[in-house]
Amino acid sequence: MISWDEISVPRELPEVIDEITYQRVVMNSGSTWDYFPGHFDPAYAESQGHPAIFVNTMHLAGFADRIATDWAGPSSRVVRRKMRLTGSIYAGDTMVGRGRVVAKHCDTTVDPPRRLLDLQIEVVNQRGELCCPVELTLQLPG
Amino acid sequence: MSTPISYQLAFGTYEDALRMVGVPSEPRTAGTVVSAARIQMFAATVQDGNPSYWDPDFARQTWGGLVAPPGLLMGWLTPLPWEPSGRPPVSAIAIRVPLPGTTFINAANEAEFPLPIVEGDRLTVVEEVVSVSPEKQTKLGVGHFIETMDTFTRQDGAVVATNRNTLFRFTPAGSS
Repeated sequence: MISWDEISVPRELPEVIDEITYQRVVMNSGSTWDYFPGHFDPAYAESQGHPAIFVNTMHLAGFADRIATDWAGPSSRVVRRKMRLTGSIYAGDTMVGRGRVVAKHCDTTVDPPRRLLDLQIEVVNQRGELCCPVELTLQLPG
Repeated sequence: MSTPISYQLAFGTYEDALRMVGVPSEPRTAGTVVSAARIQMFAATVQDGNPSYWDPDFARQTWGGLVAPPGLLMGWLTPLPWEPSGRPPVSAIAIRVPLPGTTFINAANEAEFPLPIVEGDRLTVVEEVVSVSPEKQTKLGVGHFIETMDTFTRQDGAVVATNRNTLFRFTPAGSS
């Protein structure tokens, strides 16, 4: 578990690599109930100019959240996440997540005060193309 | 033959779309409560071993129950693609905005989570169209950006999450 008191910023998080197989993209529709056909039908995806089916926003959000809470520990919690979808992650791609802590602050407008860390996470594909820049705020216990 | 879009996709002009701006939707309540099965199906999809999703004892002590992964927020109010009525399911407000575009893709999202959502919670969403852009040409095609704001409450009325989303509703370049 990361200690809010002891952490210094900026700080790099370990890189996380995740290979997105067809099975994972199909699981994405199954778990999110998002049956937009670009997420499960290769013919539809190709008709829209995509090379293959692709994961949805929730999958990318879940990947960013996983990077943050795997690092900070299971008693931490995502309280804010802002992301832009600048490129798609297709079946057969590899997602690479690179995160860093950019700020540490205490929200005293609530009681008890919230101990927060601001992270920036970049999700790129195997060609290094930025697909999803993320700003994420974690609340740590205590 | 590829699969058609199963959701209610409304068609109309930009002027039709602008009439929806600023009018909060009727609340929609999820048909089922937040469940361990869906929590773990999503956690398996993103391969997240966080015990908040998997370990009932840890989760109960820490959060009051297995936690809904924050990434799955929009999924709790996404309808299944078929319902017994046989009618197209009513989906997120963004794709009910009448516009010419034949398809859509998500462009941006910002979510906040004032409180953890846990197993057993029943969520209700109120959605509002914040803005619809004038026609824009992008590398994908011609269309409009639709910004929406969703407020999620649980059964006791507490706001558990807000979700600001930007979706691009467009007709692909090269299609007639």
